[in-house]
Formats: sequence, C-alpha cells, structure tokens
Amino acid sequence: MQGLRKTYHRAFGRGGHEALRGMDLVVPSGSAFGLIGPNGAGKTTFIKSVLGIVRPTAGTVRVLGGSPEDPAIRARIGYLPERLHLPGTWKSPAFLATVARLKGLKPDAPALLRLLERVGLSDAVDRRIGGYSKGMRQRLGLAAALLGEPALLVLDEPTDGIDPMGRLEVRRILQEEVRRGVTLFLNSHLLAETERVCDRVAILADGRVLREGRLEDLGRGGARWRVRFAPGAQASALVAAGFVPVGGAGSDATAATNVQAEGARDEGVYVVDAADVTVLNAALDRARASGALLVELRREGADLEAVLLGAVGSPGVAA
Amino acid sequence: MNPVFVIAGYVLREAASRKFILAFMVGLTLVLATVALSLKLEVVDGALAATRLFGEVVRANIVSVDVALRPIFRAAAYLVFYGGILFGIVACSDFAPGLLSPGRIEHLLALPLQRWHLLAGTFLGVMTLAVGGTVYAAGGLTVIFGVKTGYWTVGPLVAGGMACVGFAAVYAVMLTTATVVRSAALCSAAGFVLLVGGILAGFRADVSRYLEAGFGRTSFDAVTMVLPRLSALAVGAADLASDTPLLPGSLGMLLGGVLVFGLGALAVGFWHFEGKDC
Repeated sequence: MQGLRKTYHRAFGRGGHEALRGMDLVVPSGSAFGLIGPNGAGKTTFIKSVLGIVRPTAGTVRVLGGSPEDPAIRARIGYLPERLHLPGTWKSPAFLATVARLKGLKPDAPALLRLLERVGLSDAVDRRIGGYSKGMRQRLGLAAALLGEPALLVLDEPTDGIDPMGRLEVRRILQEEVRRGVTLFLNSHLLAETERVCDRVAILADGRVLREGRLEDLGRGGARWRVRFAPGAQASALVAAGFVPVGGAGSDATAATNVQAEGARDEGVYVVDAADVTVLNAALDRARASGALLVELRREGADLEAVLLGAVGSPGVAA
Repeated sequence: MNPVFVIAGYVLREAASRKFILAFMVGLTLVLATVALSLKLEVVDGALAATRLFGEVVRANIVSVDVALRPIFRAAAYLVFYGGILFGIVACSDFAPGLLSPGRIEHLLALPLQRWHLLAGTFLGVMTLAVGGTVYAAGGLTVIFGVKTGYWTVGPLVAGGMACVGFAAVYAVMLTTATVVRSAALCSAAGFVLLVGGILAGFRADVSRYLEAGFGRTSFDAVTMVLPRLSALAVGAADLASDTPLLPGSLGMLLGGVLVFGLGALAVGFWHFEGKDC
C-alpha cells in the first residue's frame, strides 16, 4: 500500500471524514501481521481497502501481486469480517457449499465436514446457524475464510465471542496456517492474542501508520539488557564493569534514575547498555572475571500494550 | 457455476425459508384445490350447460365454454397482475437489503465476484420466484378449467408472463433503491409508489384531462411519460387471457416501454453500486 487515502464524502458535498491520511505499508509474504490501534484509527477502512470493498480516494493497493479488484486475486484471499451476518435458517454445510461455489470451487461434502471439524463445529452440522452462539458463528466464519486454502487470510476480530479454550484452538489453527506459508493479516482488540500469533505489527491512529515492524523490534528498549547473577556476586565489581543494579540498591543515583524495569526489588538483577553483542560480551566477561555467575540474560523490552500506549500517547485507548 | 446463478440460488434458498412466502404458496394451493373440488361444470358439445359451485346451481345462459370462461380468466389475470405485484413488493422487499446488509456484503464482496453479479443474481432469484409463483397460479387455473371443460388456452399463462414483466420493472426500482438505502421498508415504498405511478401512467390521458392546465398538468404529463404504463399492461394481460383482440402493435409497445424502463432502472442501480463503498 502506498499513499493510501480514503475520504468518506457526505451527500450534497457537505464535507467528509478522512479515514486514511496517506498510509504506506508493506506486509511481507508469509508473515503474521497484526493491526492495532484505537477506535476510529481507520483499521476497518484499511482492511476494506485491502479487499477492494472500499475504493481508496488516492494511493495504490497491491495484494498478492495484483489488484484487489481482480476476482482471481480475491479467490486467493480468505476473509472473516468483524460482524459476519450469516443466514440463520441455513445449516453450516450448506453455507460453506455456497461460499465454495462463489469462490469457484466444487463443493466437496467430506472436505467441508473436515473443515467444520477443524474449527470445532462437527457437533453442530445438523443445527441451523440461527441457533449458533456468537463463538460458533465466528468459527463458521473462520471455516468459510479457510475454504480453498487461501494464500492470504484477513481476519477481523476472529476470536470475538469465543471462549478461552476456543481461542486456543483458533490460535492453533492460525499458527498452522502461517506455518503452511499463508500470510496472516489480523485485526484484534486482544493485544495478547496479536502478540502470540503475529510476528509483525502496525500501529494505526488517526488514519496513519504510527509504527510498524517486527514485534521484538517494536518492544525493544534500545540497547539495554537485563542480567541476573547468582547470589554472592560483588555489586561494586559489577558496577565497575558497567552493570547497574535494578532498583538502585548499591548503585549510583544517575544510573538508578534511568532504570524503568519491573521487579525492582529482585536481588542480583542488573541492567547493562550494550550497543552490540561484542560490547555486551565484553561486559559479561568483566563480570565473570570478578567471580559473578550469570543466571539469566534477556533484552529489555516493552509488551505490546506499552508499545501501543507509547505510540498513541494516551491511556485508556482500545485496539 | 456462474456466480449470478449461485447468488440467485442464495436468494431462492432464503425465500424458501420465509414463512410468509410458504404460507402464500399453501394459501394459493388451497384456493386452487377449493376451485378444483367445489366447481362442477357440465359441458355438452362445447357449450357450458350447467355450473354447480359447492353443490348449488349457478344460473347462467347456455354459452360456449370459451365465452363462458372469458370473464373468469379476465378476473384471474387482473388478480394475478395486481395481486402478484403487490405480494411481490411486500415479500421480496428485504432480499436485496438483506444481502447488502453490513456483515454480509463485506463477506460477499471479498469473494471472487464482480459487484454486478450480486445485483444480477438477486434480480434473477427474485424473478425466478415471481415466474414460479405465476406459473403455479395461472397454470393451475388453466389446468383446472382445461380438465373440467376440455377448453385449453395459454391466455392466462401469457397474462401471467406479462404480470412478471410488470413486476420486473417494479423490482428493478426496488433493487436500485436498495443500493442507495439498505432498508426493506423504503424498498417496498419505492415499489408501491412505482405501482401507483404505473397505474396512473396507464390512464395518463384520462387523468390529465381532469387537471387544471398549467404547471400541475405539465408536471403530471412529464412524470407519467417516463413511468411504465402498468395499468395498460394489466388491461392487455386481461385481454389476452380472455381472448379479446388487441390493437395491432399496442402490446409490443407496452412491453417494450416497460422493459426499457426496468433495464434503465437496473442500469442506474448497477452503476451506483459499482462506485459505492460498502
């Protein structure tokens, strides 16, 4: 997507609402891509633009190497809308058979039943869709999206209304699809779900992409590492080696003010700034030379919620 | 399979699940069965000698069967025409708004379809329903009277076909309305307004005479000029059903006008939907 803009014009030229204000985004093939942002950020408009449901005012969208307007491209996309409206009087195999026909596939009854089993609806094939719970409808929508082994899955709140066990199943299915090589495009207000499923994330707000990248890069707290040493390590030697104790105990005041990590009272926990692995290993060598034993080492990082709040800049926002 | 046919099947499947439509079909069957079982016609040498309805003798002159059946077929043609269109307006008003509703339209448009497939499929599905209902009603009546009297005519079926053409124009307007506002009530209102306008358009010369000359009459003439002349089509259908001779060329002009209007309305709907954000 390049320079994507969308303005919803009102009737009789009474102004309009600018939903997308020039978005540039590249989703690598085979990645699991999460879209997060506050309400009204333009996520739904963005997804609809990707699918050709909404026509952009300006900019270009290319999906799977072609235009989303091209039916041959859309045949390779599986989509689950946020509020899927299903025909209540139908049964799920009939619904899936119709979707299969509309995708240009020949309905294969055993394959459809296997798909329903995969999404956990094998016990409900003889029931009318109108009697399904919200979670069951979502599962059926997911089954419809998975029809025809699409190359791109666009899922808008796929686990909405699904119980915790069901979420695990859905997550497992999504991870299977990603392993199969499918590009996953996920819009979910459950940040933990996005964090578990996706490897890349874009943060949208006010019709723009604020941040985009690999999850660990977005959550990375610069070049800072958190280190835990076994009890008995000499604090003064570690400080001399460049390590700053977390919580400030035994450290100088300047270093302590920069520490924002959790678990401030953890004994033996230090942070160290290292621009690259060579600098990091040199610091660790100095620490070990003083007799300190390394127990744990991990890069300092923020979770997705902190990243979102940091990017959007106001508390209480919803994805 | 062509997506248009799949969408038409989608609409028909939805229709089959509507209790309102099922009740109508059951009611229609009961009416036909009542006519078949309660009406006894005695035909001697091609003439209707006696008629019994629910066992009671209906007093009438002895006339040939075709002449005796003319008023019945004429009344049936009007009933099928106006009753069918009115029922169609009510029963089919929410098919298009339902298909275009949020949560369903996004899903459909994300499938490998062209937008016009959706409208064409909906139109085809509804017209299949209309033609099926008409054939059932008019065909049932034709068979009942054919078996009872030995007089066979395709007049009622042709009249039913003309009613379908009239309904096609009305539904084209309803479908186009649905692309603008996803409301079943407004769709049926648009269909009803066109039906009333079409009735007036059929009598435009007579009605115009009663209006005071000036802006009102000019406006009425201008508006009714572009509307399909549905009442004239109904009269033509009744004439055909009762074997009444028609003016040469009049039927072709009427049908052509209604078809052009319907296609024009559909074209507007297709054009509007093609550029619409859903």
